[in-house]
Amino acid sequence: MPTTVFLSGHLKEFSGGLTELDLSGPHSTIGDVLEQLWASQPALRDRVLTDQSEIREHVNIFYLGRDAKRLDGLNTVIEPGGEIHIFNAVSGG
Amino acid sequence: MSAERTLLVGTGKGLFILERNGSEWSMEGPHFAGLGVFAAMLDRRVGRKRIWAAPQSFHFGAELSFSDNGGKTWTNPEERLIKFPVDTEKSLENIWQIAPGAKDDTLFVGVAPAAIFQTLDNGETWSLSRGLWDHPHCKEWTPGFGGLAVHTIVTDKADPNSIKIAISTGGVYQTADGGRTWNASNKGVKAYFLPDPFPEFGQCVHKIIRHPAKKDTFFLQNHHGVYRSRDGATTWDEIESGLPSNFGFGITATDSGSVFIVPLEADAKRFTCEGKLRVYRTRDEGESWEPLTNGLPQENAFEVVLRDAMGSTENEVYFGTKNGKLFGSTNDGDSWEQIQGSLPEIYCVNVY
Repeated sequence: MPTTVFLSGHLKEFSGGLTELDLSGPHSTIGDVLEQLWASQPALRDRVLTDQSEIREHVNIFYLGRDAKRLDGLNTVIEPGGEIHIFNAVSGG
Repeated sequence: MSAERTLLVGTGKGLFILERNGSEWSMEGPHFAGLGVFAAMLDRRVGRKRIWAAPQSFHFGAELSFSDNGGKTWTNPEERLIKFPVDTEKSLENIWQIAPGAKDDTLFVGVAPAAIFQTLDNGETWSLSRGLWDHPHCKEWTPGFGGLAVHTIVTDKADPNSIKIAISTGGVYQTADGGRTWNASNKGVKAYFLPDPFPEFGQCVHKIIRHPAKKDTFFLQNHHGVYRSRDGATTWDEIESGLPSNFGFGITATDSGSVFIVPLEADAKRFTCEGKLRVYRTRDEGESWEPLTNGLPQENAFEVVLRDAMGSTENEVYFGTKNGKLFGSTNDGDSWEQIQGSLPEIYCVNVY
């Protein structure tokens, strides 16, 4: 089963206007899913991750509603058919 | 881009382009609406009309973009142009300065964390300047309020190998071999916040500029302290007599050699002295200063002019404030007019 990735509206300009993508895998971690996401939407990568391939401080990635930074980050193990949400954090000035 | 005068004004919420023909100003923007723009540059070398800008998204990071059509469209590369290599274990936080190199296809950017990137092919490819990054002092520089950044790059059209930079907090460094090796150049500059008030490096230098006509004369606005060098930014002398305060950020010079600053009360009181917006001008390289007030508010004016928010060309001077006011003078500072009054916080003013 594919993993579905939902993007916040702020990321649309880097995803060709898409806010929902089904990624068929195989992938066993959030990082695997994102690698597949970058393959189809390469401009997203540098906006979501830092130069050191870490999740940006003010970007949040949720797996099944849980914050990946409070799980195992990009190494968080996932099950087939799950949902990943990528949001810009509620922060700024 | 064909106006008599063009200003690139970077703010906390985007880039504004102002043009003047005759006495009339027009303004359009914000470009990169909602993003902070700390650095911008108009490259008019060899017939170009390329605007470079460094928008920073609070969420998605900083990037470098350019427009060849006056801002109608901007590049938005899939992979960012300025990225720290993996082995540095660092990531780009912000871009503070875009500066032309001595050669027509060369540009430098100064960034946080403190480093320089350069391009030799007019922006097609960029690389980290390893000479500075590998300098043994690099690991000892410390962040100031605005982070740890190379915020000032002064190049020399006559000598491509000569580059001066300023780092907060690290001080002035210069290279004579195109960036392979760098030397700290802070002799005489005070760091009152360190146990040794005159260290080799570690000063919080806010800005340096070169005299428009004298290759080896420089001026420096320090975190408390105003200085002049007449030996190529190697040693520095205080030039504070006549100033109400030695704290400030921006500093600029017109073609006549007049130098302008806007003193602030102190580092813990970052606003204009006595609630008066006064530009101070020296016409004798810092031996004396005079306040300029004609056209500037002299009551209840608690303003801050940031390090890149002053710019000049010919005998015209422009500056912007954190309160979003943009002022200009077309007579070497003798009188001023408010051009805009409600822009977002102004980070940089670039004059062409």
